[in-house]
Amino acid sequence: MEEILRKKARELLESGAVKVVIGWGWNRNRTRTTPVFITSPEDADKLVWNPLCVNNLSVYLTRKFKDIQALGKPAIVAKGCDIKNIVVLITEGQVKREDVFIIGMTCDGVVYRQELWKGELRPEIMPTKCHNCDVRNPFVADFVVGEKSAFTPPEAPTGMVFDKIKEIDNKDASGKWAFWINEFSRCIKCYACRQVCSLCYCERCITEKNMPQWIETSAHPRGNLSWNLTRAMHLVGRCTFCGECERACPVNIPLNLINQKMIQVVKDAFDFRSGYDEKTHPPMIVFNPEDKENFIK
Amino acid sequence: MDKLLRKVNFDKLIGSVVNRGGRFIAPSLDARQVVFKAVKKAEEISFDHILARNSYKEYLFPQTEVIADFTVHKDGIDLQGRDVEPSTTVIFGARPCEAESLSALRAVFTWDFIDEFYTQREDKTVVLTVACTKGDEACFCTTVGLSPESTSGSDVYLKETEGGDYIAKAITDRGRAFIEEHAAAFEDAKDTKTKKLFMPEKIAGIDLARIAERLSKKEHYDDPVWARLTRKCIGCGACTFVCPTCHCFDITDEGMAFGGERRKNWDSCQYDTFTLHASGHNPREFQYKRWRNRFMCKFNIYPDKFSSKGCVGCGRCIRVCPVRLDITEVMEEMSK
Repeated sequence: MEEILRKKARELLESGAVKVVIGWGWNRNRTRTTPVFITSPEDADKLVWNPLCVNNLSVYLTRKFKDIQALGKPAIVAKGCDIKNIVVLITEGQVKREDVFIIGMTCDGVVYRQELWKGELRPEIMPTKCHNCDVRNPFVADFVVGEKSAFTPPEAPTGMVFDKIKEIDNKDASGKWAFWINEFSRCIKCYACRQVCSLCYCERCITEKNMPQWIETSAHPRGNLSWNLTRAMHLVGRCTFCGECERACPVNIPLNLINQKMIQVVKDAFDFRSGYDEKTHPPMIVFNPEDKENFIK
Repeated sequence: MDKLLRKVNFDKLIGSVVNRGGRFIAPSLDARQVVFKAVKKAEEISFDHILARNSYKEYLFPQTEVIADFTVHKDGIDLQGRDVEPSTTVIFGARPCEAESLSALRAVFTWDFIDEFYTQREDKTVVLTVACTKGDEACFCTTVGLSPESTSGSDVYLKETEGGDYIAKAITDRGRAFIEEHAAAFEDAKDTKTKKLFMPEKIAGIDLARIAERLSKKEHYDDPVWARLTRKCIGCGACTFVCPTCHCFDITDEGMAFGGERRKNWDSCQYDTFTLHASGHNPREFQYKRWRNRFMCKFNIYPDKFSSKGCVGCGRCIRVCPVRLDITEVMEEMSK
């Protein structure tokens, strides 16, 4: 697969169809993958594909990266789950479909965190999203690398995230509150969750609006709660459960739980799953007379 | 003379510190990772790890602290400064690399203004360093002129024995006083064999003098190497938050219309608003320029202005980076 990927990248750069290929490459010791930006055909061999390719590179398509946009039309190497984020960016008018060349990778799953890798992809080191993945075959792509995957996700979603959500759902309000206040207490307000997220593309985040200061920047319980709740609300109906925020969090706040719970709520309320259709707008930005309004009591 | 600190005596030591009103900070497991935390019992301490995810700087320079209170009335504003009244802070389990970081923090907090919130806490801090018997590929202390044998910045330097106890050597007067004050927890050390230390391999292509020389010339500002190596940076700032020498902070007022608190909060040069001017102009417009600044701070500004190390080679920034941007790869490139 790697060879086909490199060949395609080389062709695209040689023909001038794209100016940069955003993909994964090795670090110096070839122990971890890291994002690479290939601008000349002879560097195409630096691209790699393996279960360590965890990063969701779609973040580099957003307007946060004006210097990367200045390089010219990009091709992006993307797993099915990364493509979901590109789809959301398209539906929200951030990227035009024709402005990006998507090289979709057929995927058998990746590791939850690169440091867990011991040379073999075992189910225990894969994130919940991979166990339930229905996009192992890239569904929006200009070129697909890899044999068709025959994997079918389990009927009822399984994995740590879903188990934990059930556990929290069974708590009463004060139990839920105590759980989250404890988790958020570790927040250091580094905003890694926001920065790694391709759907947090605001040039000026609400936490940076300081006249007045809507969200207290202090890492105290009130500031941490308001930041984490606000970010969660801003991702409702948009988050695709790519898991980058939880992976990037230096203090291990289980953000996947919040995001997956929100996905379930949106599924129940609007029968909508984000990231599957680039022609459908997410429910939070459209009005539909058929919307259930049972939240208004 | 060297002393022996037995693992069974840790409860005694912690008790002795806490009973005198002090805090005992040690590496401890929290949310599936080892971090520096205030502990009350020896069983909370993690003894077997490479190094804590965070730096212990937060106990001298908290993430957020109130420095003043204010009230607003029709004739003006009253601002009442807070005093810092620190208790003794004992840091157990610092690594030799990060022990070095306190002199770098002190240099900046006493540079043109004495920041008493920092200095008063540091004056009452005792650093008990434990030499490394484990490491990983992110460790690079030997590349920046330190090693697991460095004692600079430590008050007491400990080496683990084969049996899992510690041989303690007082390095400073504060360290000697600490051992005397808590003598009940220490014994005389007899000839005890210590474990072999983990020595990270020095990265061959890195030359600090050459880096300093290149950074001293302004032409490097526009060198395309910055964009090439660091444009993948997503600007999350996690590196600056776990870094033992990063120290930038922001002052913010919080409260209601007629009163509140003035707080000192950690800030990061990796944020796009860090250098944003009121005019709308931003001298570090792109992320790679912010990254260049952090590198400059570590390898040009600190050594030049304070003769201190801006980087101690602990490797935390490498481990925590979501895009695996490895500072040593940039150091290697800038050594050319």
